[in-house]
Amino acid sequence: MAVETASRGPAAETGETVEGGEPSFRPSPIGWLARGIVWAAIAWLVLIFPLGREAFELQRYSEAVIFGIIGLSLNVLLGYVGQISLGHQAFVGIGAFTSAYIVTEQNLSFWVGVAAAVAVGGLQALVLGGVSLRITGLYFAMVTLAYGLVAEKNIFQIQELTGGGLGQPAPKPKGFESDFRYYYLCLVFLAIVLWVDWRMMRTKSGRALLALRENPRVASTFGVNVRLLTLFAFVVSGAFAGLGGALLAHNDTRVSPETWSFNLALIFVIMTVVGGLRSRAGVVIGSAFFALIGYLLDKFTILQDGLNAIPGAPDLSPEIARLVIGPVLLLLTLTLTPGGIGQQIRPIVRWLTGHRFDLKDRGLKEVQISDVRA
Amino acid sequence: MDRLRERQGQVITAAVITLLVLVLLATGEKESLVIGVITGSAYGFLALGLVLIYKSSGVFNFAQGEFGTVAVYTLYLLHFDVPYGFALLGALGVAVLMGVVVERLVVRPLFDAPRVTLLVATAGVALLSIAVQIWFGEATARPVGRALPTLDRFTVLGVQISDQRLLLLGALAILAGLLAWFFNKTNLGLAILGSSQEPTATELMGISVKRLSTIVWALAALLGGLAGVLAVPETGGFAPGVLTVAFLIPAFTAAVLGGMTSLPGAFLGGVIVGVVEAVATSAPIFEDIPGSPGTLLVFVVLLIVLVARPQGLLGKAG
Amino acid sequence: MSVLETQSVSIRFGGVFANTDVSIKVGEWEIVGVIGPNGAGKTTAFNIVTGFYKPDRGRVLYKGRDITNLAVHERTALGMGRTFQNVGLVKGSTVRENLVSAQYLEADYSTLAGMLGSPRTFVSEAELRKRGDAVAEVMGLGEFLDRQVAGLPYGVLKRVEIATVLATDPDVLLLDEPSSGMGPEEAHDLGDTLLELRREFGLSIAMIEHHVPLVVRVCDYVYCLNFGQLLAEGLPEEVRNHPQVVTAYLGEDAEDPALQKVEEKLETLLDTD
Repeated sequence: MAVETASRGPAAETGETVEGGEPSFRPSPIGWLARGIVWAAIAWLVLIFPLGREAFELQRYSEAVIFGIIGLSLNVLLGYVGQISLGHQAFVGIGAFTSAYIVTEQNLSFWVGVAAAVAVGGLQALVLGGVSLRITGLYFAMVTLAYGLVAEKNIFQIQELTGGGLGQPAPKPKGFESDFRYYYLCLVFLAIVLWVDWRMMRTKSGRALLALRENPRVASTFGVNVRLLTLFAFVVSGAFAGLGGALLAHNDTRVSPETWSFNLALIFVIMTVVGGLRSRAGVVIGSAFFALIGYLLDKFTILQDGLNAIPGAPDLSPEIARLVIGPVLLLLTLTLTPGGIGQQIRPIVRWLTGHRFDLKDRGLKEVQISDVRA
Repeated sequence: MDRLRERQGQVITAAVITLLVLVLLATGEKESLVIGVITGSAYGFLALGLVLIYKSSGVFNFAQGEFGTVAVYTLYLLHFDVPYGFALLGALGVAVLMGVVVERLVVRPLFDAPRVTLLVATAGVALLSIAVQIWFGEATARPVGRALPTLDRFTVLGVQISDQRLLLLGALAILAGLLAWFFNKTNLGLAILGSSQEPTATELMGISVKRLSTIVWALAALLGGLAGVLAVPETGGFAPGVLTVAFLIPAFTAAVLGGMTSLPGAFLGGVIVGVVEAVATSAPIFEDIPGSPGTLLVFVVLLIVLVARPQGLLGKAG
Repeated sequence: MSVLETQSVSIRFGGVFANTDVSIKVGEWEIVGVIGPNGAGKTTAFNIVTGFYKPDRGRVLYKGRDITNLAVHERTALGMGRTFQNVGLVKGSTVRENLVSAQYLEADYSTLAGMLGSPRTFVSEAELRKRGDAVAEVMGLGEFLDRQVAGLPYGVLKRVEIATVLATDPDVLLLDEPSSGMGPEEAHDLGDTLLELRREFGLSIAMIEHHVPLVVRVCDYVYCLNFGQLLAEGLPEEVRNHPQVVTAYLGEDAEDPALQKVEEKLETLLDTD
C-alpha cells in the first residue's frame, strides 16, 4: 500500500512533524542500525575528533559552533519572521563587549557576563524593534544597517566600554580555561539554543510566527497580536545574538571594535541564507562552514593554490576568501537553490529522524524571505 | 485630494529647508551649509539611482554605491596613462557594463521574488565587488585626480568652491531635472513606470519588460558611476567600497527623506542630509558624541522620517 | 440586546465612499444575511466590524460594548470569528496544523514555558490537538486532517476555514461568502451545518452571501447594501422581493460576466489592505 509522503506543513519546513500527524512509517531493524551508525559518526566528529587538538584549532572549532548560534539567531528573524537584519554584528558585538566589561571591569563571573549579554541583546532588540518594527521589509533592513553603522562608529568608540585601542580583555571562565573544555561549553550552549528554538517553533508561538509570515491577517484572526509577536521574535533573536557575542569574546579572550564591521553583518546574513532559512541543521552547517573557511583554506593549501591559479590574482588571504566566496555562494543559493544547504540535506535529516528516505522531499517549494510592501 | 497632499509636501519641504538655512546662518555654521550642500549633492546622485530602480521595480539596490566605486577605481587605474576625458568615459562604461551584468545575472532570475530577496542579492553583489577590490588592490585610500583642476573658483561663505564641486552640483541639478522630465513626459519613461506597476499590461502593449529592466539598471549604474567619478576625487580618494561604506546610508536616508518615489525629492534629500552631517561634524554641541556624530545624526533623521512621515517630504503616501 | 451592532459606520478610500451610514444589527442567536451586488461594500463593512479598518465615522458595538478602537486580535479574544473571501488559512500547513494554530488563545501555557519545554506545555498541546480534531469531525473534515491546505478543493477549504474559526471558540461568526465555489447541494448542506452550529454552539452569525436560496432558508434577517449604503432590510422574503433590491441586482447587468469580473476585482482590492 502506498504510504502518503509526509505532511508538508510547517513541519516540513522545520523538519519535524506535529505529533501524530504522520501516517505511520517505522524503519526496519537494519534501518535503525544504519541510522544509528550515521548518528554515531556525527557524534564522533563533533565530540571525539577535536580531542587533543591544539588550542588554535580548537578555538576555530569553538568559533564554528558559536557562529552556529549566531546563524540560528538570525534565522529567527530572517527565517521565521521574514525580516532582515543587516546590522546583526551590532547585537553580537555589543554582547561581546558587555560580557567582557562585566567580567573585566566589574569583576563578576563569566556566567553573569553571559547572562548580561543575553539580556542586553534582548533589550536592544526590544528598543530598536519597538521603534522600527512598524516599518517593514526594505526599510527595516536599512534601519538595522544604519544601527550597525552607529554601533561601529559611535557605540564601539566609547572608551570605557571598549578599553581603548587594545580592546577589552575577556578571560575564559573558571573551570573552562582550556580551549578544549571551552569548546564543549560552546557545544552545550548550542544545544540549549537548539532546544529552545525547537520548542518555540513546536508550540503556540512558533505556529503563530509561521501564520504571521505567510498571512498576517489570518494570524490576527487567530488572535495573534502581530506586532507583539514580531517584537518577541526580534527579542529572541537579539538574545541569541548576545549569547553568541559573549561566547565569541571569551573564545578570543579579547574584544576589539574593528571586528564588528559591516562586512561581518553581511557574512552573517549570507551564512544563514546559504545554510537554508528555517532549517536548523542547514543554518548550523552553513554558519560553521563560513567560520571555518579561512582555517580550511590555510590548512588545505590545495584550495589556496586552486584559487591562486586565477590569472593575475594576488594571494587570497583567509579573510578575503570569506568575503569573496560568501557572496558567490549567496547569489548561487538565491538564484538556484533558495532553500540553501538545508534544502539539500533535508532528505538526510528526515531519514535520520526516523522517516523514510525520500529524495524528492525538499520541503516547501520556495523560501520566501518576506512578502514586502516597503 | 492628492493635489492637496502634494502641495502639503512641497510646503513642508520649503519650510524645512528655510528653517535649516536660518538656523545654520544664525548659529554661525555657514561653512557647514556650503560643505553640506556639496557632499549632499554626492548623496543626491546616489539617491537618484536608488530612487530610479525603486520606482521602476520596487527593489532597493544595495549595490548602487558599488557602481560608483567600480567607476572610480577604473578612473584611477586609467587616468595615469590615458587622457582624463577618455578615462572618464572608460570608467562610466565599466559602470554601465556592471549594471547590465548585475541585471542579467542577478535581477532577472529573481524577477518575481520578494523584494527583500533582491535586497539581499544586491547586498551580495556589493560585498563581492568590495571583496574583489580588496583582493586585487590594497585596502588603502589612493588619491584620484580631479576632472577640473581649478581649486578656488570662488568662495562662498568662507568655503572654497572648486570647479570640481561646481561640476558635481551642476551635473546633479541637470540630471535630476532630466530624469524628472524623462519619467513624466517621455514614452519610455512612462513605460518604465507602467511596467513596474502592471508588468502584464505593459507586455501586452508590445513593450518588452525585460529590455526596460536592462535600460533602467544601465541608467542607474551610469548615475552611480557619475557619483563616483565626480565626488570621490574631491573627498579623499579611492578605497575599496568607498561609496558603499561612506555614501550608501546617507544616500538611502536622502532617498527616504525625499520620498522613495520622488526624483526631485532624492536631490533635495541629499542636500539636507549632507547639511545635517556637516553640522554634526563641526558644531560644538555635538562634540561629545563618541566616534562620528554624523553617523548618529543621520541615523536619527532616518528613524524620525520613517516613523513620523514615511512617505518622505515629496513622496506619495501609502 | 444585540450581540453585534454597527452604528452609522462610514469609511472612504480616496474618492470611493465604501461605506456610508451603515447600521447593521445581529441579535443573539440570529443568523443575519448581508447581500448586495459586487462592490457594494459588504466586505468593507465586515472589515470594519472585525477591526481591519477603522471607520471615519460611527461605532461598532459588541455585546453593548464599544469596540471601535480595538485591534483585530483583541476582537478575536472577545469572541469574534471571521472568514475571508479568498480563504484565510495558512496554506503552507496541514488542516490539523491550522486547527491547532487557530487555538492560539486557548493554549494553556505561557510562551516562555513553551520555549523551555515545561510539562504543562506537552499536556496542553495534546489537548489542543484533540480539540482541533473534534472540530474537524463536526465539519466532516476528518479525512483531510493530514492534507496540506494548499492542495484541497475550494469547497473543502471553505469548510476548513469555518472549522478553524470554530476552533477559536467564538460567540459570533462573520462569514464572507461561505458558499462561494459550492454547488447547490453543497450549499444546501452548508445551510444545514450553519443551523446545526447555531444550535449546538449557541452562535450568532452574520454572513455575506450571493446564494439566494441559502439566504432565504437560513437567515432570520437580511440587510442589502448597494454603493456602500443600506438599500433595504427586513425578513429575507421581503428584501428579496423589494423593488429597489431587484433593480440593484438586475440593473447592474447581472448577465455581463466581464463587468462582474471587474467588480469582483474591486471587491478584492478593497478587501486587501
